[in-house]
Parts: sequence; C-alpha cells; structure tokens
Amino acid sequence: MSSWLEIDNLNKHFNGVKALVDFSCSLEKGKILGLVGPNGAGKTTLFNVLTGFIPSESGSISFCGIDLHNKPAHRIANLGVARTFQDLRLIRQITILENVLLSFRNQPGENLANTFFRASKTKKVEVENKDIACSVLEKAGLAEKINVLASDLSYGQQKLLSLVCCLVSEADLLLLDEPVAGIAPAMIEQILSILIDLPKQGRSVIIIEHNMEAVTQVCDHVIFMDAGEKICEGTPTEVHNDPRVIEAYLD
Amino acid sequence: MEYILHILILIGIYVILAESLNLIVGYTGLLSIAHAAFYGVGAYVAAIMALKVGSPFLLNTICAVVISGLLGGLVGIPSLRIKDHYFVIATFAFQIIAFSILNNWVSFTGGPMGLPGIPQPSIFGWVISSHIEFLLLVSVFATLTFWICQRIISSPFGRVLTAIREDEVFALAAGKNVALYKVAVFAIGSGMAAIAGALYAHYISFIDPTSFTVMESIFIISIVIIGGAGSLWGPIIGAVLLVILPEVLRFVGMPSSIAANMRQILYGGLLVAFMMWRPQGLIGKYGFKLEDTKK
Amino acid sequence: MQILINILVTASHILLIATGFSLIFYTARFFHFAHGIIFVAGAYLAFFLSTWLNMPLAVSIILSIILCATIGCLIELAIYRPLRKKKSSELIFLLVSLGIYIILQNIISMVFGDSTKILRPNSVTEGIAVLGSRITPIQLTSIFVSLTLIGILVLFLNRTKIGICIRAVANDSDLANISGISSRKVFVWVFGIGSALAGLAGILVALDVDMTPAMGMNALMLGVVAVIVGGVNSLPGIALGALLLATAQHLGIWFIGSQWQDTIIFVILVLFLLFRPEGFFGKKIKSATV
Repeated sequence: MSSWLEIDNLNKHFNGVKALVDFSCSLEKGKILGLVGPNGAGKTTLFNVLTGFIPSESGSISFCGIDLHNKPAHRIANLGVARTFQDLRLIRQITILENVLLSFRNQPGENLANTFFRASKTKKVEVENKDIACSVLEKAGLAEKINVLASDLSYGQQKLLSLVCCLVSEADLLLLDEPVAGIAPAMIEQILSILIDLPKQGRSVIIIEHNMEAVTQVCDHVIFMDAGEKICEGTPTEVHNDPRVIEAYLD
Repeated sequence: MEYILHILILIGIYVILAESLNLIVGYTGLLSIAHAAFYGVGAYVAAIMALKVGSPFLLNTICAVVISGLLGGLVGIPSLRIKDHYFVIATFAFQIIAFSILNNWVSFTGGPMGLPGIPQPSIFGWVISSHIEFLLLVSVFATLTFWICQRIISSPFGRVLTAIREDEVFALAAGKNVALYKVAVFAIGSGMAAIAGALYAHYISFIDPTSFTVMESIFIISIVIIGGAGSLWGPIIGAVLLVILPEVLRFVGMPSSIAANMRQILYGGLLVAFMMWRPQGLIGKYGFKLEDTKK
Repeated sequence: MQILINILVTASHILLIATGFSLIFYTARFFHFAHGIIFVAGAYLAFFLSTWLNMPLAVSIILSIILCATIGCLIELAIYRPLRKKKSSELIFLLVSLGIYIILQNIISMVFGDSTKILRPNSVTEGIAVLGSRITPIQLTSIFVSLTLIGILVLFLNRTKIGICIRAVANDSDLANISGISSRKVFVWVFGIGSALAGLAGILVALDVDMTPAMGMNALMLGVVAVIVGGVNSLPGIALGALLLATAQHLGIWFIGSQWQDTIIFVILVLFLLFRPEGFFGKKIKSATV
C-alpha cells in the first residue's frame, strides 16, 4: 500500500558529489515532517527533486498516486505542491498583495483569451482571490502592509509572506525550506502557529530546519539526514537523542 | 502642416512598435534585437498581398499579424534554452537572417529593389489618401495597441510576466508555465509589430529591406529604454522624443548630408547616457539591473 | 587550391577579431559590441594617417594599432569601469556597447564618408604564384601574423605575470581581488590588447580587400560566431571556429552564391547556442541554480 507521498530510493549526484543516496520516506495527509541535518546533507536537493527543479538519477516519487518523475516544476506545483526557498524568493518589485495573488493556482485571467473575451468572469475570480488574499494576509498580521512593495518588508515579514503565498495556493503539500531561520522570536511563534494549524485543514508539511526547538514544537515525525542519506527517523525526541545523530553533529 | 502630420504619423507607427516591444523587453525581461524583423515581415506580407492578391487592407493586416506572430513565437522558443545575453545574440542572429531573406529572396520580395507602388489602403470603401486620413488610421491602431497592452499588463497574465522578469523560479514554483508565457508574449509582441509594418508599407507606398535592419531594431529598443521599459507610457514618451529630437536638429541648420548620422549619434548617445545613469529610462520600472532579477 | 588559400586568409582575419573579442568576453563577461567598431577604426585611422597625413604606411599601421588599444582602454576607463562599480548587469553593458558602436560608426561615417576606401601599399602586386593559385604578400602576412600573434598571446597568458592575472580575474574577479590582483588594472590590459588585435584585423582586411564604415558589424559577428562555435576560453577552439566559418563562407559562395552566407553563418550560430553553447572545446556554461 503506498501512502499519500511516497519517496523511494532517490539518487542524485552533482559532479561526483553524492547529494541523495537511496533516500526513501513516506508521508501521510495531515502530518508535519521535519527534515534536519547538517549543511550539505541533501535536504534542499530533496526539495528540488520533489518539486521538479532537478531530475533524479533513479528512484521514484509518488504523490496521491501520481508519479512525479520527470514532471516539469510548474506541473507539480499545480498538482497541489507549494514550496518556499532557502534564499527567500519573492517578487520584490511588486506589492505583497500582488505576490499573494500570483500564488493562486488556475486563475482564468492567466489565459489571455479569458481576459479579453470573458472579462466579467475573469474579473469576478480576481475579486474573489483578492478577498481571500486580504483575509489570509490579515490573519497573518500583514494587513497594513498589503500595498507595500515586497522589498520594503523586513526579513521576517518576507518569510511570513512566502508562507502566505503557499497557503493561498491551496496546496495540500507544503515544502518549507528554513521557514523560521534568522528571524525574531515573535515572528517565529507566529509562523509556527500557522504551521500547527495546517494538519487540521488536511494539509501536510515537510520543513527543513536547524532550529530544533521549532522542529520539536510542530513536527510529528523527524528525519535526520547526512551526506545524502537518511540516518534515522522517529519522533523529534527520539531523533534528538539518537547516538548516530549526536555523532554526526560532533563530526 | 504636411510635415507635422508626417511626424505625427511616424510617432504613431513607432508607438506601436515600442509598446509591443515593451511587452517583451520591459515586462517580461526578454531583451530582443529582432523587432525590426517582425516589423519588416508585417510590412512585406501586407505589401505583397496588396500588390499580388489585391485583397483589402484589413485582411492583409490580419494576415501580417498572424504570420509575424507565428514567427515571433518561433523566436520565443529558443528563449527557453538560451539565456540572458546569449539570447540577445540569438535574436540578433534572427534579425540578420530575416534581413538576409528579405534582401535575397528576390522573386518574392523584390530583393534590394524592394516593392514599389503599394496602393493606398481602403477600408470598406473608404480610401485613405491624405495625410490627415492616414494619421487617423494610425491613431486608431496606436490606440488599439495601447489598449491591448494595457489590458494585458493589468491582467493576471501580465502579473505573471513581471514575475518571470524578476524570478522565473518563483513563477515556476507558483505553477506558471513559464515557457508558454514567453512564447506567447513574443507572438503577441511580434504580431503587433506587424501592424506597424502594414501601416508603414501603405504610408510610404514603397518598402525595401533597408528599413528593417539591425539598426532599426536598435532604434526601437532605444525608444523603449529611453522612454522607460516596464511602463505603459514610457514607449510613447520615448517615441515622441526620439522621432522629434532629430527633426529639431534639422531646424538648427544641420546639413542634410550628415543629418542621418547625427540622428543615429543622438540616439546612440542617449542610449549610452541612460544606461550609465538611468537604465530604467525616463519613467520606466525595469532597469535591467542585477538587483531586478534573480537567477 | 585557390579556395583553400581564400579560406585560410579569411580565417586569419576572423581569428584575429575573434581572439580579441574572446579575451574581453572571457574576462569582462559581456558582449563588447564596440569591438566591431574598433576593427573599423583601425582601418580608418591607418587610412587617415597614411593617406591624409601622408605618413609612411608602416608607421601609420603601428600608430593606428596603438591608438586602437588606447580607444579600447578609454572606453573601459570612462564607461565600463563606472558601470562595473554600480554592479550593472551584463545586459546593461551589452546595450551600452551597442550605443558606443553606433556613435563611433556614425562619426567615422561623417568624417570619411560612406564610400568604399582602400588602404594599399605603394605598389600593387599581382600575387605570388603558389601551386597554381595566387596569394598576395598581404594575404600571406595576414596568415603569418595572426598565427604568430595567437601563439604569442597563448604564451603571454600562461607565462607572464599579467597574463596569469588576467586568467585569474577571468576565472573569479572577486577572488582575484582578494588575492591582491588588481582587477581594475587587468581590465585595462585586456581591453588594450583586445582592441589592438581588433584594429590590426581591420587594417589587414582593409589592405587585402577594402573598407567601409559599416563593415564592423559583419566582421564582429563572424568573430562572435567563431568564439561561440569554438568555445570562449579555448584558443585552439576559436581557431577551429574561425576555420569552420571561413570554410562555410567560401564554400557557400562557391555553391550557392554569396547572398546566403550571412544566413548560413547565423543559422550555425543559433544551432550552437541551442545545442552546444560551450562550443567545441569550451567548458560548460553554468546554468541557473535553484
């Protein structure tokens, strides 16, 4: 029986460096998985392979029964996967509202034929999206900044914004790369509180983080990676106390 | 008075060219030096149909738009694999190939001799014979082009174009089929350039390949850049400025033998000056800067 | 046989302009279009000095090359260096160099007119007979000079201090700066050498055939295609690219007439950009990272 997200024996290397070695794991709906490990362990590479930005050499990925192998990135995104990036990708020259509006999937207005020939329907959906965007931004605490350029936000607010973008995409699987790294504690709390709510909506999250406290707080399950391999997995406490993990960090 | 009308007509034609190129360069961030090729294809298709088939102006223009648009889409496809300044060189190559074909396929295009005697356009019986009428025709099309660009830019489609310009990866991760957008914007931009070509062909009533060279492409891109890439009104301001300024030289007593050279030095100089001190142009939003884009 | 000689002569011209261009592209990492107009300037400066100022041809040539190197350095100092300080993108550099190209071409056009000029040594020779074909002393000089200069350049880049600094900066200019290499100085050297080569190429072409202000664009594009086909950082590759282009050009003229040579060359360019952008021998160009 294959689970909701099934990753099987993924292999990837770059110029001789092994980034992923026979990596396997699975995830159910409504669960939060933490991915931890030292830098260069292959965590971001896993995200890139999962989301179709890098091809794997061997192995398979199945999401809701669909094989993700060799699918282009935008196709995977439209299947219900959303992600953030370690180096925080946003469109800085436009407002945060526009960034969020960009993140809605299946917008009729993105088809020019609709813009010109079905203008009223297009407008209606756009207005609806705007309402949803505004309410999500409000819940996230960014209400006053709606028309501010993304470049004018603080780093923490930008991270929050990229999470909001994932939320409005209605993705069932969110891949968050270091969502709370390098930001103030108050903002960390805010982001974590959003994350904890997601399983109740039937959504799953995989987060890459170095912040063990945060991981312990939100994750049901944790996988420790090093040098492309899965070293161990279990509850946050189990992994934290695993001798192999301690050893890897001491190396 | 005729002279002023002539200038206004030229401005109108260049507004169409600049607005359409602005979609590709200013909003999507794909620098292309091939626009004169689509301008030329549009002119030639319209002219050949008018001369050899005798079909009405509007039909010819539509055909010009379609053919140019298809070619534009074709040029957009390499943009998926060839990036940044290599892509600029590829558009350069395409421009030169197009010129070469226009210049050498003598049986079809008349080669260097061009196509003379293009008839005056007639729309449902109304023959456009005077400068004033032509200005009206050009204005209608220029306004139409502007309106289409405005609709595109303010739509979700336009929003994605800006996203692609700044960060393709973000756009892909948000589920946008970036390749399709790039090809589409090229097709649309080139299609609109063909309108300018059809208008030009009927206005001058004679076309030859020398109006559609690399230099012309560079002139059009200069209009977009100096006026301001990435803004709707930038191309209009740029067109007005770059069409009128050289004419001003003529009144200052510049001998006509070097007028053509001075005109080019003028926009070459403006291009250098703006790139050095204000790459986003007079009122533009996109300055080709490193900070504006993320790889 | 004659066609072989023609090919070699053309290849030598292309090689000279391509080498200068690639040196600049390899180091400064952008398409310096103005290179093409320095090619033209070389020919016209030599013309000006020898025909208008009546200086001996040899002196005019040497002076012209020095002046070209100077122009190249001036462009770098006055325009590219400030842009680099602003961390301008490669597109801005490309557009600026296009603007410079246009300005200079029109200045040359205004001063000298658009008609075809020639640059000739005093006696017009018929050409030495070689294996049933003819080659003029100028053409022989072209081939000899281009090969020698390329050889000298290779030695220069590998054996001299400046040469090694150039390669360091080309590899990673920030790293080079930290290691104590003045990248500013290196850029000036590179534009000087590259422009000198371009000017020389222009002179040789003018001596062999003729010159017009507009000849720069075509010559430049041939150089660019040779560089892309051969591989930016590989001199043997560029030599091969130049040979390939010259062959394509002359065979094209022979079989289908000269009108389609531009098309052939640029189709080759697009094919390489699409399928082998690193050229025959170049290293793979880094693609976008996520």
